[in-house]
Amino acid sequence: MRVVKPILIRLLFGLLSLLFISFVTFIADEVTPGDAATVAAGDKATPAQVERLRESMGLSRPWPIRYVEYVDHAAHGDFGKSYYGVHEPVSATLSRTLPITAKIASLAIILASAIGIILGTIAGVFRNKWPDRSVLTLSTLGVTVPNFVLAPTLVYFFAIQLDRLPVNWDVNRVEREGQLMFVILPIAILAARPMALLTRLTRASMIDTLQQEFIRTATAKGVPPLRLIFKHALRNAILPVITAIGTSFGVLLTGSFIVESAFDVPGIGKATIEAIQRSDMPVIQACVFVTGAMFIFLNLIVDIINPILDPRIRESQI
Amino acid sequence: MSQPKKKRDYMLVMGVAFLVLLVLFAMFGPAVRSAQLRTPEKPALDAVYQVADGAKTVASPGGKFILGTDKIGRDVMARLAAGARVSLFVGILVQLISLSVGITVGMLGVFAPKWISTPLMRLTDAMFAFPDILLAILIIGVLGPGLLPVIVALAITAWPSLARLVKTQVATLKDREFVVASRATGASTVYLVIQHILPQLWGILLAVSMIEVAGTILAESALSFLGIGVQAPNPSWGSMINDARGDMSSHPILLLWPCLILSLTIFALNFVGDGVRAFLDKKGH
Repeated sequence: MRVVKPILIRLLFGLLSLLFISFVTFIADEVTPGDAATVAAGDKATPAQVERLRESMGLSRPWPIRYVEYVDHAAHGDFGKSYYGVHEPVSATLSRTLPITAKIASLAIILASAIGIILGTIAGVFRNKWPDRSVLTLSTLGVTVPNFVLAPTLVYFFAIQLDRLPVNWDVNRVEREGQLMFVILPIAILAARPMALLTRLTRASMIDTLQQEFIRTATAKGVPPLRLIFKHALRNAILPVITAIGTSFGVLLTGSFIVESAFDVPGIGKATIEAIQRSDMPVIQACVFVTGAMFIFLNLIVDIINPILDPRIRESQI
Repeated sequence: MSQPKKKRDYMLVMGVAFLVLLVLFAMFGPAVRSAQLRTPEKPALDAVYQVADGAKTVASPGGKFILGTDKIGRDVMARLAAGARVSLFVGILVQLISLSVGITVGMLGVFAPKWISTPLMRLTDAMFAFPDILLAILIIGVLGPGLLPVIVALAITAWPSLARLVKTQVATLKDREFVVASRATGASTVYLVIQHILPQLWGILLAVSMIEVAGTILAESALSFLGIGVQAPNPSWGSMINDARGDMSSHPILLLWPCLILSLTIFALNFVGDGVRAFLDKKGH
C-alpha cells in the first residue's frame, strides 16, 4: 500500500495531462480556418456543398460530442487522414516515423544520463581541481551552445573536413549500410544539452552528499574510497538526477525537431515541421499529441521509480 | 556556481558592453550599410534585401563587403544587423508580454479570492505538463509560419514560469513586517502591491528576464532555422544558419557569422543575468 498509493496518484496525474494535451490539440483544429470537409470538398465546391459534406461527416455536431469522439479515436490510434498528398492515414505516418525518433531519442537519453552521471560524479569528487574545472567548462558550453549551431559545426568537422560520417539521411545508403553511421551525429547532438544539464546536477548533488555526516562516519570507519563514492555517496546523490532525466527528455524532444530537420532524419519531428509548412492539421495534431504523450510517459516512469528507490519520498507521500 | 567576484564583474561589464553594441548595430546597421554600398546606378539600395553593385555570389570577407556576401550576393553584415533587429524585437516584446501576464497571474494567485486564484494556478501548472516547444509548434500550426505567430507562440509559452516565480516571491513577501505594518495602517491591496511588493521584485525579475530573453531569442532562431519562423526574404539569424548549411562544404564562413553573433548574444545575456543576480544576493545579505 505504501508504494501503491503514490503510484496511483501519479498515474491519475499522467492521465489528466494526457487529457489536457488531447484537449489543446482538439481546440487547435477548432480555431483553425478550414476543416476536413473543406479539404474533402476541394477548391471548386460551393459553400452549400461544403456544408452538406460537413453534415454528412458529422462535423456540424456540437464540439463536446466531437471532442469525446476525437479522444475515443485517438485512444484507438486513429487520428484521421492527412489533408494532402495521397491522404495517407495519420496512423501510418506515425508508425513510419515514430520508431526512428523513439530509437534516436532513447539512445540519446541513455548516453546523456550515463556520461552525465559519470562526469558529474568525477567533478563532484574532485571539486575545484582540474577535472572539475574542465567538466564545468564543457558543461557550460553544452548548456549555452544551441543545437542548431552545434549541428552544422559537427557536420562540418566530422562529415566534411574529416569525411568520416555521412551528412544527410540517404534512404538507399541506409538500406545498404544500416542506420548506425547515420544516427551517430544526430544522437551526439541530441544528447549534448541534456548531458550538460545532468552533469551539472550530478556534480551539485554529489558535492552536497559528500558533505553529509554519514559520509564522514563511513570514512571514519575506514570504508575504501571507491566503495565510499559509489556505494554510499552516489546512491544518495543520484536521486534528484533521476527526476531530472525525465524533465531533460523535454529538452531532448525540442532538439529532435532541429536534429531531424538538419539531418533529414525521417522521424516524427521532421514530419511535424513538414505538416506545419503545408498546414496539415490532422498530422500536426497527432504528432504533437504523440510527442507530448511520450514526454508524459517518461516522466511517469521516473516518478514511479523514484519513490521505489528512495524510502524518504515514500514516507512523505503517505 | 560561485565564481571569484572580480571575474564576475568583468563578465558583467563585457556582457553589457556587447549588448549596447548589439543594440546600436541593430538600430543603425541596415541604414549605414545601405548608404555605404549605394552607387550612382543604385541610389535607393536596401542592402538587406538587394544586391549591391560589384557583388559576387558568395564573396569572402574583406573589401567593400566587410563580412562578404551570401549566395544571392546580398551583404552579410546588413543582413546580420537586420537579424539582430528581429532577435531583439522578438526577445524584448515577448518578455514584456510575459512579464505583464506573469506578474498579473502571480499576484492574483496570492491576493485574489480562491475562485479566481485556484483555476489560474491550475492552468499555470497544466502549462508545465508538456514541453513548451510542442505548444509553440501547435500554435504556429494554427496560425501558419511567420514572425507574428512566433511572437504569439513564444509569449503564450513564456509566462507560466514567471507567474510561478512571482507567486512564490510574493507569498513570502506579504508576511514580512513592512507589508504587515502597512496593511495594519489601512493600506489597500492595490496600494500594497504597487508601493511595497513590486519594488522588491524588480531586481529578481530583471535578472530572470535577461536569461529568459536569451531563451526567447534562441527559440525564435530555432523556429526560423526550421523554416516555420521568419520567412524569406526577411533575415533572421536562424534562417541564415539554415541557408548557410547548403553551401557548407564550399563556404563554411557563411555559417560562422550568424552562429557567432547568436552565441555571443546568448552568452552576454546570461552573463548580465548572472551578474545582476549576484549583485542582488550581495545586497540581500
